[in-house]
Amino acid sequence: MEPIITIRNLSKKYGDKTVLNNINLELFPGQIIGYIGPNGAGKSTTVKILTGIIDDYAGEVIVAGKELRAHVLEIKRMIGYVPELAELYDLLTPREYLSFVGRLYHLPEALIAERSQKMMDSFGLGSNMDQRMDSFSKGMRQKVLLISGLLHNPSIVILDEPLSGLDANAVIMVKELLQVLKQEGKTIFYCSHMMDVVEKVSDRIMLIDKGNIIANGTIAALRADTNDSLEQIFAKLTATDDLQDRADAIATVLQNKDNG
Amino acid sequence: MNKLLLKLAMLPAAVYRNMGADIPQLTALLEVKLMQDDRKPMTFGRARKQKKDQKNGVWLNVFLSLVTGVVYLMPLIAMKNLVFSLWAFYTLFLFMLSFLLITDFSNVLIDTRDKTILLPRPVNDQTLFLSRILHIFIYLFRLLLPMSLPGWVFLSMAYGWKAGFFFVIPLLLMVSIALFAVNGFYLLLLKLAKPERFKEVINYFQIAVSVLLFASYYLLPRVMNSAAVAGMTQEQFPWIRYFPSYWLASCWTWVFPGTGMAGSGWLSILAVVFPLGCIYATVKWLAPQFARNLGGLDAVELHTAKIKKQNREGFYKKLAYLVNKNDEARAGFMLAWLQTSRSRSFKMKVYPSFAYVPIYFAYLLFNRDQSGSDVWHMMVQKKFHLVLIYMSSFSMIQALNYLSISDQYKASWIYRALPVETPGKIMGGAFKAIWLKFYLPFFVAISVFILAIWGVPAISDLVLGLMNVTLFSLILMLMGSRTLPFSTVEQLSNSAGRTLRVFGAFFIIGLFGFGHYMAVKFWMLKPLFLVLSGIALWLVWDSYSKSDWNAVKRAEDEA
Repeated sequence: MEPIITIRNLSKKYGDKTVLNNINLELFPGQIIGYIGPNGAGKSTTVKILTGIIDDYAGEVIVAGKELRAHVLEIKRMIGYVPELAELYDLLTPREYLSFVGRLYHLPEALIAERSQKMMDSFGLGSNMDQRMDSFSKGMRQKVLLISGLLHNPSIVILDEPLSGLDANAVIMVKELLQVLKQEGKTIFYCSHMMDVVEKVSDRIMLIDKGNIIANGTIAALRADTNDSLEQIFAKLTATDDLQDRADAIATVLQNKDNG
Repeated sequence: MNKLLLKLAMLPAAVYRNMGADIPQLTALLEVKLMQDDRKPMTFGRARKQKKDQKNGVWLNVFLSLVTGVVYLMPLIAMKNLVFSLWAFYTLFLFMLSFLLITDFSNVLIDTRDKTILLPRPVNDQTLFLSRILHIFIYLFRLLLPMSLPGWVFLSMAYGWKAGFFFVIPLLLMVSIALFAVNGFYLLLLKLAKPERFKEVINYFQIAVSVLLFASYYLLPRVMNSAAVAGMTQEQFPWIRYFPSYWLASCWTWVFPGTGMAGSGWLSILAVVFPLGCIYATVKWLAPQFARNLGGLDAVELHTAKIKKQNREGFYKKLAYLVNKNDEARAGFMLAWLQTSRSRSFKMKVYPSFAYVPIYFAYLLFNRDQSGSDVWHMMVQKKFHLVLIYMSSFSMIQALNYLSISDQYKASWIYRALPVETPGKIMGGAFKAIWLKFYLPFFVAISVFILAIWGVPAISDLVLGLMNVTLFSLILMLMGSRTLPFSTVEQLSNSAGRTLRVFGAFFIIGLFGFGHYMAVKFWMLKPLFLVLSGIALWLVWDSYSKSDWNAVKRAEDEA
């Protein structure tokens, strides 16, 4: 099978700081890729490069056989992106916002209206279609963000902490949705700190730390012969000291304070 | 109005398409931007209700621009020479237009959400660039039309149909100069200021502009009424020929020959060439460079911005321990001290008030067409220092008013989650921080001025005034603002009850001022008032700093 995304020797620096260091990856259609790493590891920078937000990087990114920088608009049309921060034009209503987003993808008005209403209904926000989003809760904003990322039916979906702020039912629904999208042949690039979810939904895990990919494979392969959970594997590969020691240190600080 | 402006802006759609823009995307972008403009809160403290759809927002802006346009009429009315008066008119207009573009529009131009929302979408650079430029043009047009209307009507009436017909041409040329100036300003700022300081600099610029607006509304009519201004001629100021506003004014010699200085013909050619050059430079270099620099703003901010080292960290903490007896009050003091230094909205609303006081004082002094020495004598003899002392309370009220308001009011859950028995202690600490940080230095500055003019005898007035203003501020807090620092949203505070309280407050300060004035007349009253004010201050402070949760809840319900 041909990879849908190929990343070759990708590097990115902010000033003197190297954020991505010669990364090489291949992502295949119909897969959910869990992209994990500690804070500041380079996850968001990878996502920003893949979505065309950052274009001053070294290396090569090929999406569906096309080089990203040379065909950025075509590639953007294939991608649906849900950013980590729920950035929306929140003075608008969901109807207005989704109509705006749909028009940027040249979707017909009727289709935008139909898809928006149905997806909003599915997320339980059907009655909030004409309410300004500045009054929305974090979860409600996140749902609108998810809808806006899927509205144009993209073949690649890039999700950065998509479950942030969602209630339990919505979380289950999104997890189900990911499986359906996968079965339809879409590639899902899933960034998250929620290890249990990543472990459950992903076909492949990629672990980035300090700008380097330090693990890449199925959860079974990462486990090798151990029975470790993804959380434990993550801690082993990325933590500089023993986390239990750190927790003890915090508790000691509190005890000293009380005694003092 | 938006639909009409959008249609006008999209008339040359074929040209935009040739430039590489995607027309449906461009239309969608402009529609959304204009929609947001109508719904965004206004600057200079004129916050709009957020929940209600503001259909009247556009018309309110139009009305305010119209009022500003009336102020610009002053030089046209006061000065005799047409070109000279138009020079003043265009100078005012050009400055104000550029300032408004920078202040009112900066949040739109530097909307960093665009980066997350628009950049991942399949929108090309040309479409984004054109949407930005057209958005600015529409915004300018909405400001320009009502602002220029009074001048248009006046000139048409004073100089006939030719003037009315010609008026539009220099005005359009002026717009391109303003656009160039604003883009240049932003680029310069992006080059000179560190990215993390960029928004801060814009913020201070906004504050300066709000002061300038206030000053021009109050002082310009006074200055323009003076007979000296009416007698001025352009020949007395030959240097004005180097200003683009004079070049624009010189264009009027095409329809009214002989009204300009020698060489006005050449200058009027510059008036056409220069704006065209400005348009070219803006489209070709400035705007794209601005967009590129802006795109990099967030990334740099994220990775290089560091929390500014608090050089005076020790100072405010020492002060908090020095003036507060308990930990709750110290916490309130420190929170108020830090938040007021960092909150953009607090600075925007409060800092200008310190400039309003001297401006309004000057306005009161120059009430009549008097000479400088007449004004001086009147000021010294009529004990105007009392007016200044009590007017300073405006800054204190403004600071205290915005002490309880915050965009992040929801963060105030912390007060309720903590084991705080008497919230009044926190409020008292915060009050002290505001008093020490903002009011006292301001009062000291005023005192220096007063002592320099009225001399040592004014010391007792300063002491009584300081006590009375502090007492009055506390009464005001007691009457309606027993709210915790940064715990309410602005729109909630704009209630009818608050308006009544403000009227009540002005009545009280008037009463205090009158009592003080009487004490100046009858000296034996002064020590008595000092003692009474001291006792009242102690009682009111005691009540305020002991405010319980019920009082806070009542105040929040009433807000």
